[in-house]
Amino acid sequence: MSTETKAPKTAPPRAGSLRRSNRVLAFFTIPSLLWYLIFTIGPLIAMFLISFTDWTSIIATPEFIGFENFAEMFNDPRVGTAIVNTAIQLVATVPIQVVGGFMLGYFLSLKFRGHRFFRVVLFIPALISVAQLGTIFTVVFGPAGLINSLLTAVGLEEWTRAWLANESTAMLCIILVGIWSGLGFNSILFAARLSAIDGDVYAAAELDGANHWQRMWRIAFPISIDFFGVVLMLQFLWTLFGSAALILVMTAGGPGQATSTLSWLVYRFAFTGAPSIGYSQAIGVLLFILGSIGLLIIRRAFRQRY
Amino acid sequence: MVAYIAIGLYAVTLLLPLYWIVISAFKERFEVFRTPLTPSFSAGWENFAFVWTYLEAGTALWNSLYITASALILTLAVALPAAYGLARARGRIGSIVERVYAFGFLIPGFAALVPTLLLAIGLGMYRTREFIILYLSASAQPLAVILLTQFMRTVPSELEESATIDGASRFRIFRSVYIPLVVPGIATVGILQFISYWNEYLYTLVIVGPQPINRTIQVALPTLVSATGNTNYAQVAAGAVISIIPVFVMYLILNRRLEDALVQGAVKG
Repeated sequence: MSTETKAPKTAPPRAGSLRRSNRVLAFFTIPSLLWYLIFTIGPLIAMFLISFTDWTSIIATPEFIGFENFAEMFNDPRVGTAIVNTAIQLVATVPIQVVGGFMLGYFLSLKFRGHRFFRVVLFIPALISVAQLGTIFTVVFGPAGLINSLLTAVGLEEWTRAWLANESTAMLCIILVGIWSGLGFNSILFAARLSAIDGDVYAAAELDGANHWQRMWRIAFPISIDFFGVVLMLQFLWTLFGSAALILVMTAGGPGQATSTLSWLVYRFAFTGAPSIGYSQAIGVLLFILGSIGLLIIRRAFRQRY
Repeated sequence: MVAYIAIGLYAVTLLLPLYWIVISAFKERFEVFRTPLTPSFSAGWENFAFVWTYLEAGTALWNSLYITASALILTLAVALPAAYGLARARGRIGSIVERVYAFGFLIPGFAALVPTLLLAIGLGMYRTREFIILYLSASAQPLAVILLTQFMRTVPSELEESATIDGASRFRIFRSVYIPLVVPGIATVGILQFISYWNEYLYTLVIVGPQPINRTIQVALPTLVSATGNTNYAQVAAGAVISIIPVFVMYLILNRRLEDALVQGAVKG
C-alpha cells in the first residue's frame, strides 16, 4: 500500500558489473521470496483449486466437480444467513471503529492534559490476543458475568440474560467486542498521523473562528484522507476475515445461526460436523472475492484529493 | 468538554472489564457475581494455583516462548538478507519483487487456513510446533522485508562503495556495515513480530492442536470456558491474567518503543 519508495539514484555502473551485482543480490533475496511464496501464495492457489472439488474429509479422494460447490452456495440458506450477518457486523463495527478512532485520534494529537495516560489506556486492547479477548468477554457477557452482576447491583434484574446464548443479543455482543478492541488502536494510529500537522494551521483556523468540529473535519480530515482509507481497509479486512477466531471462542456461530458469518462458515464446514473441505474452500473463495472488491472500492473512494 | 467526557467514558469501558478480570482472579467463585467491583483477596492465590496445574501453564508458556523465539530468529535470518538485496538492487526486477511482497499484505492470513493445514499433513508435520514456526516466519516476510528494506535504504551507498574498494565481499558488507546500522529496524520488526507470534491463535489451534504437551498458552486459555455452562469465572479470570502478563510486562519495559513498532507495522500492512 505505501511502498512506492524509489530506489536511490546512484551513478550507473558499467552494464556488465550491474548484471553481475544484481545476480549476487538475488542470492540474498531468493530464500525469503521462495519461503513466502511456498507458505502463503501456494495455499492461496490451493484454496481456489480445492473449491472445485467435492473433497469431504482429509482421508477421502477429491474429485473435480466444476462449479457445483458455487451453485450449491447460492441455494444454501446457511450461506444467505451468513452473508446477512457479515453485512450487519461490517456496517455496525467498521464505521464506528474508523470514524470514532479518527475523532479520538484528533483529540489525542492535540496533546491535551493527561493525553499520555489516555494513550496508554487506548493502546491496551492492541496487546490482547483474540483468544484472550474471546475468553474475557465470554465471562463478561456470561450468565453470572460482569454485565449481569452490574445490572443486578443497580436493581435492573429483569434485564439480565445469558447475552451470548440469546439469539437477539449474541451478534450485538460480537459487534461490541469488535468496537472495544479496534477503536483504541485506531485512535493511536490516527494520532500518530495527525500529530504531523503543524499547530499553526489549527491556530490560523481558530483565528478565523473555526471550532473543534470544523477543524477536525475541514482540516485534519482532508489532510489525512489517504490514511483514513488505509485504516478503513485494515478494519474491513480484520472484521471480514478475522471474526472467525473470535466467534469460535465466544459463540461457535450460535445460538442457532445468530453469529454465523462467512468466515465462520469457512471454519465450520472444514472442521466441524460432517466436514466438506471443498465446500468450505468455495466459501473461502467467495470471501476472498468480496474482500478484494471491498478493498478496491475503499481505495477508489479515499484517494488523496489535493 | 464533550470530547473529554467521550474519551473518559471510552477509557472507563476499556478499563472496566480488565479491572473486573484482575480483581475476580483473587476471589471465591460466588463472590465474583455478588460484589463485582469490590476488590477482595478471599481466594488468595488459590485460583492461580488451580489454573496453573489445570492448564499445564508451565508447558504452555514454554511452548509459546519456543514457537515465538524460533519463529522470530528465523524471520530475521531470512528477511534481513532479502531486505539488503532489495535495497541495493537496481533495475526492474528489484521493483517487481517488491511489488510481489506488497501484494502479500492484501492476502488475509485466514484465507489459507485449510490449505496450510493440508500442507502440514503433506509434509508430515501435522501436530508439530516446528511447522507453525515455519509458517509464521513465512507469513511475516512481506512486512519484515519491506520495513527492513526502508531502513536499509537509509544507509548511504558511499559507505558500501568505500568498503568495496577495500576489497570487502557483499556478504561482509552486509554483515559488518548494514546489520549494525539497521539495529533500530531489527528492533521494530522484532517487537512487532514478537507480539503477533505470541498472540497467534487460530493457526496454532488447528495445526499444532489442543494436546497439553504441544499447545501454546493462547490455545490453552479458552479451554477454561466450559461448554456446559459450568464455567468457574474466578478461574477464567486467573487464567486470563496469567496469559496476559508476559506481553504487559514487555509493554511496561518498552512502552513508547512498542507503541511505535505496532503503529509502523499496522500502517505498512
